[in-house]
Amino acid sequence: MTRWAMIADLRRCVGCQTCTAACKHANSTPPDVQWRRVLDMEVGEYPAVQRAFVPVGCMHCADPPCMHVCPSTATRQRADGIVTIDYDLCIGCAYCAVACPYQARYKTDHPSFAYGEAMPSEQQGADPRRIGVATKCTFCADRIDAGLAQGMVPGVDPDATPACVNSCIAKALHFGDADNPESNISQLLAENQHFRMHEELGTEPGFYYLWDKRR
Amino acid sequence: MSYGPKPWMQTHWDLRAAMNFILGGTGTGLLLAAVLAAPPAWRWVLAAGMALIAAGLGAVWLETGRKLRAINVLFNARTSWMTREAYVAVVVFALGLAALALGRAPLAQAAALAALGFVYCQGRILFAAKGIPAWRTKGVVALIVATALAEGGGLFVAAAAWALGEPPTLWLVVFALALIARAAAWSRYRSRLGAGAARLTLEPSGRILVYAGTATPLALLAIGLLLPALAPGADFLAGLAALAAGWRLKFVLVRRAAYNQGFSLPQLPVRGGH
Amino acid sequence: MKLKTYCYQCVAGPDLLTVEVRDGVATAVEPNFGAASVHPGGGKVCVKAYGLVQKLYNPNRVLSPMKRTNPRKGRDEDPGFVPISWDEALDTIAAKLNDVRARGLLDESGYPRVAASFGGGGTPQSYMGTLPAFLAAWGPMDMGFGSGQGVKCYHSEHLYGEFWHRGFTVSADTPSCDYNISCGANIEASGGVVGVWRHANARERGIKRVQVEPHLSVTGACSAEWVPIKPKTDPAFLFALAHCLLHEHPRERLDLAFLAARTSAPYLVGPNGYYLRDPATKKPLLWDAGRKAALAFDAPGTEPALEGSPCAAAALEIGPDQEVLGEGELLGETAFSKLVAHLKPYSPEWAQGICDVPAATIRRIAGEYLSHARVGATVKIDGQVLPLRPVAITLGKTVTNGWGGYECCWARTVISSLVGALEVPGGILGTTVRLNKPLGERLKSVRPGTDGFMSYPLNPTDREHWSPKPNIRNAYRSMVPLAADGPWSQALGPTHFSWMFLDETPKGLPRVTLPEVWILYRTNPAISFWDTDRIERQMARFPFTVAFAYTRDETNHFADILLPDAVDLESTQLIRIGGSKFIEQFWEHEGFALRQPAVAPQGEARDFSDIATELAHRVGLLEKYNAAINRGVAGVALKTDKWDFSLETGKTHEAAEIWDAVCRAASAELTDGAESQGLEWWREHGLRTRPFSRLDWYLYPTFVELGLRFELPYQERLLRVGKELERRLHEHDMHWWDAQLTEYQALPAWKDFPGMWETSLRAMGGQPDDFPYWLLTARSMQYAWGGNVGMQLIKEVADNIAGHKGVILNARTAQRIGVAEGQLVEIATPTASVRAHAVLRQGIRPDTLLLLGQFDHWATPLAKDFDMPSMNKLVPMSLALTDATGSGADVVRVSLRRVA
Repeated sequence: MTRWAMIADLRRCVGCQTCTAACKHANSTPPDVQWRRVLDMEVGEYPAVQRAFVPVGCMHCADPPCMHVCPSTATRQRADGIVTIDYDLCIGCAYCAVACPYQARYKTDHPSFAYGEAMPSEQQGADPRRIGVATKCTFCADRIDAGLAQGMVPGVDPDATPACVNSCIAKALHFGDADNPESNISQLLAENQHFRMHEELGTEPGFYYLWDKRR
Repeated sequence: MSYGPKPWMQTHWDLRAAMNFILGGTGTGLLLAAVLAAPPAWRWVLAAGMALIAAGLGAVWLETGRKLRAINVLFNARTSWMTREAYVAVVVFALGLAALALGRAPLAQAAALAALGFVYCQGRILFAAKGIPAWRTKGVVALIVATALAEGGGLFVAAAAWALGEPPTLWLVVFALALIARAAAWSRYRSRLGAGAARLTLEPSGRILVYAGTATPLALLAIGLLLPALAPGADFLAGLAALAAGWRLKFVLVRRAAYNQGFSLPQLPVRGGH
Repeated sequence: MKLKTYCYQCVAGPDLLTVEVRDGVATAVEPNFGAASVHPGGGKVCVKAYGLVQKLYNPNRVLSPMKRTNPRKGRDEDPGFVPISWDEALDTIAAKLNDVRARGLLDESGYPRVAASFGGGGTPQSYMGTLPAFLAAWGPMDMGFGSGQGVKCYHSEHLYGEFWHRGFTVSADTPSCDYNISCGANIEASGGVVGVWRHANARERGIKRVQVEPHLSVTGACSAEWVPIKPKTDPAFLFALAHCLLHEHPRERLDLAFLAARTSAPYLVGPNGYYLRDPATKKPLLWDAGRKAALAFDAPGTEPALEGSPCAAAALEIGPDQEVLGEGELLGETAFSKLVAHLKPYSPEWAQGICDVPAATIRRIAGEYLSHARVGATVKIDGQVLPLRPVAITLGKTVTNGWGGYECCWARTVISSLVGALEVPGGILGTTVRLNKPLGERLKSVRPGTDGFMSYPLNPTDREHWSPKPNIRNAYRSMVPLAADGPWSQALGPTHFSWMFLDETPKGLPRVTLPEVWILYRTNPAISFWDTDRIERQMARFPFTVAFAYTRDETNHFADILLPDAVDLESTQLIRIGGSKFIEQFWEHEGFALRQPAVAPQGEARDFSDIATELAHRVGLLEKYNAAINRGVAGVALKTDKWDFSLETGKTHEAAEIWDAVCRAASAELTDGAESQGLEWWREHGLRTRPFSRLDWYLYPTFVELGLRFELPYQERLLRVGKELERRLHEHDMHWWDAQLTEYQALPAWKDFPGMWETSLRAMGGQPDDFPYWLLTARSMQYAWGGNVGMQLIKEVADNIAGHKGVILNARTAQRIGVAEGQLVEIATPTASVRAHAVLRQGIRPDTLLLLGQFDHWATPLAKDFDMPSMNKLVPMSLALTDATGSGADVVRVSLRRVA
């Protein structure tokens, strides 16, 4: 089996938001919709304080609360672990958005553009099916599928890899098949200590955070 | 948008969604009260209850992004409590309308039972929302069900006091029991709600629920029993107080205390130096 | 379709990218994955490049030439811009320029009648096509009206760094470095893709970076340790580190061989502070421990003594203006001994009281630095064995500009030399030359000078050549010897003087005049300079201003003509990439990259090269302009002895024609004349490189080859230059620069640097206790240099990083004064104030406030609605706060109160 998963190496991330911007380009998301974004967190008190940058978005959980609550079955899970939204089924009730513990889901009720009127580039990317429904990170599933069809390896070949991972200037983001022990992802997970966000909720995210070498 | 990492208020469900919980619960309570009502009043109570539930569902429908696809809400009975709520609502209305049309009290009683299921679904809807700690807290289902009974009872008693002057004692006893059950459900829910912004936000409404929404109505009911001359006014006020306290709590629960979990790091990254 | 191009919106570029074009519309930017093998940052593209699509289609763009209809200029005056044709615009400009040429290029004060200001760091040059050829053809032009250059740069590092080790910018050799003390260097925000990429690799490898800074910047966040130092006290911290190395560790742990052979440490210093010199050759003397005699520094087979009791030698001591201060048997002490004695008082305990950093921390850091230095270790690079010293000290902007900048740069470079970590693998490297020629070619710019050191083109201070009549208004040539006199020097002088002296020119200088024509490109001094209200008032007085305008902004609000140039995705240019330039931009490849139009220019925007050609034509400079292009002013010489693609000089050439010739010359250069692919080939391939040896990152091999020494630790030459400058100025009764002259010390001493800002505060009418906070700024990676403040995308993503929506202050400070998150606060000096929303953080000293970036826009569309102030309005242009290199620092003492 294949289980697509993403890794954010918190040791490397600098919070530059390049992935945020690249995602917006690749997915033509409207203003203020950020399927990928990077948090700027502080832990501790002055002077014993640490600051960390934490990429977040849809965690593509193995047990996704958003999918269970969805009344229309618009949210589903592919065999490879990617959680999808069928824009043609979704009624836009936003139940998934409040069920998601990662605030990864967005709903835009009206078309919106950077400067009011749509620029030519926004007209190109505009998808009326996305209005009034839930949207979120897709792990760039189209790109993965197209790449796979051409015999490429997601996470290795840029044309088969999510845009955020491709764009990362700190090489903090990685993508690959967690079920394949030989994959880049599996090796990083084997070599490093990691956690998943809100693990106690039992959602089994497909998104891992590295924080130190295994010692 | 620059949310997080600290918990922030959910923005997806606004007053329209809150109205579904507020009116749906009270409507359910009324449907149950209709069982107690003598003919022909039960028809009015039943109709009022269904109207409230319908208004609540209408409000939340207005919030959906794709209104013409509302039927899709029925597609996931396997896991979604929202789908189940919708199905049960259909049953409530089918039975209720049949009861009204045929004038058969047993059908109304069946509708009331279905409405109990409806409000249970509402409680489960909140409980299944893992993104909102105040909703996913155990005890929220009991609280939602109990407050529905208390609100419906309150509205029923107030209406009865208005219309009849002095509602039958049985009704008042049932209402009093509903009040006590709600206070107990709140207390249980509150004890399970961890410390944090949600609890801080809910606390004042909880106090109002206990004092103005429970103790005061109970006292007013007692006054009505002891001093029958004051009963119409006391019972009327008791009913409204119970109703208002319940509405307020649910509004706050959906719109003011619905903080998400934010983000937190169980481990901090090692930034070199090893 | 994906087109290959580049982004050079900031000095850390270029980033090599592809732009997706669908149905004739540019839609998305991606890294040029094909460049990963030659680009040291994995071929990735910085966040700013993702703003380029919006930059192209932004509906707020100025898309036709415009002229002003309201003759009154002022912030509150509506300029009344109306569209005009290109012909009318160019005719109007040409008429002004031809009038100037007819009357003479210089005015009655001797200043150029035409001035031009371009954005900083060389970024405009990567977009202005062939305009440099027009500038070259024109003749004298004043490029010293600053928009940030000189005062908001790493100014002391630029000047002293280039003087000591051709380090206009200085970087850690990050790929090999194990320990990095980073005093305010915000490399994660300023180092571009390569900086981020390399430091992330280094972190994973285990580098320990200690960030010494008043606030926890993104770089501090990514460091192993944060040391919250009091603002402007870094010299004390660095002096204490040097003290520890010299006084608390065995001498043999230092790189004594390096000090003896590659520095001036063994030179003998005479009683007056100048080197003892051989009476015959005038070469500096050192003490040969073997022969027990004073010998010329370059005598063969010496064993230079670094320390010892003062020794007597037959010598000359020569002071300023070649005065012989001593002759005969003179007592000399090694420069190293003088250094040791000089640093004796600067103990960690002394520094602790100044820096608010515990002495134990300073001592530990010094020890860690020394342990990581691995003195004696070597590494083989391209077959050559070099010392390996994986320790570096890097300095940030506010550390290296204004008062204290010299002391920090000196201490940093001296500490590096103590362990031999200068210009060797793992240590600190100069990565750019801008004041020495050839520009951009560090190793070739190294030429032997006097006394065993590199030559340096100091501006003259001798009586015969020094002049109180400067060539431009900021007077860099008269006042700042280290600024040299090359193409970049005008921007590296005291660029605020041009603005300040318009009000009152100090004694001795010709009266500073308004430029008759001012040309602006990619710059917005009304936002980016100091004292922006005052800058605006000055700009309103300029009689004729031509602005290449992307959108309306705060500076072109005062313009008379606006010209729309084609932006990144609309225009053509070939630029050099790779080699070694800017901070972390040292590559293992070098070559060229092409910018090409992804779409046709919007509206009437025109390619910059076509505009330049047309201007040259209308001003009658076409021959000279084309000749300048042929000479190589557009980036590559079109004609050499191996190839000739030169343009016919007598006619106008389309941009595509010019760049085709440049492309052919570039192809020829990269293949030593063998190939000559033109524009079409470059459009398809985007870039082409050849290897650049890693050895060329380091100056050390060149120094060994030429037998040179680094001019450290003792600054005899600067001492002399300072004394000479003092004499020249005083000879002309100019005393207003006396405070600055005190910077010229052979061994710099601690001065009360924070106190200088308190003194300035008093001069403004305030008391330090009433203005207890230090207001600082820091770079926003998402915006810096980009000219992208009007990009909604950039605003949206930048807001994810703390500080983009208000003033950062310590959470406990906020609690103490009753300020909650998001509340409006007023930040004030005695003369000005701004308002900002409070952003409460733990990662900042309680006495420090931070206003990120430079906002405060009032005319730029989108940005004017940010509701975000800038410290620039609060920082006065002040002679007292100008250091000897002509720079000031982004620091100001302020009060803070909640707005009720």
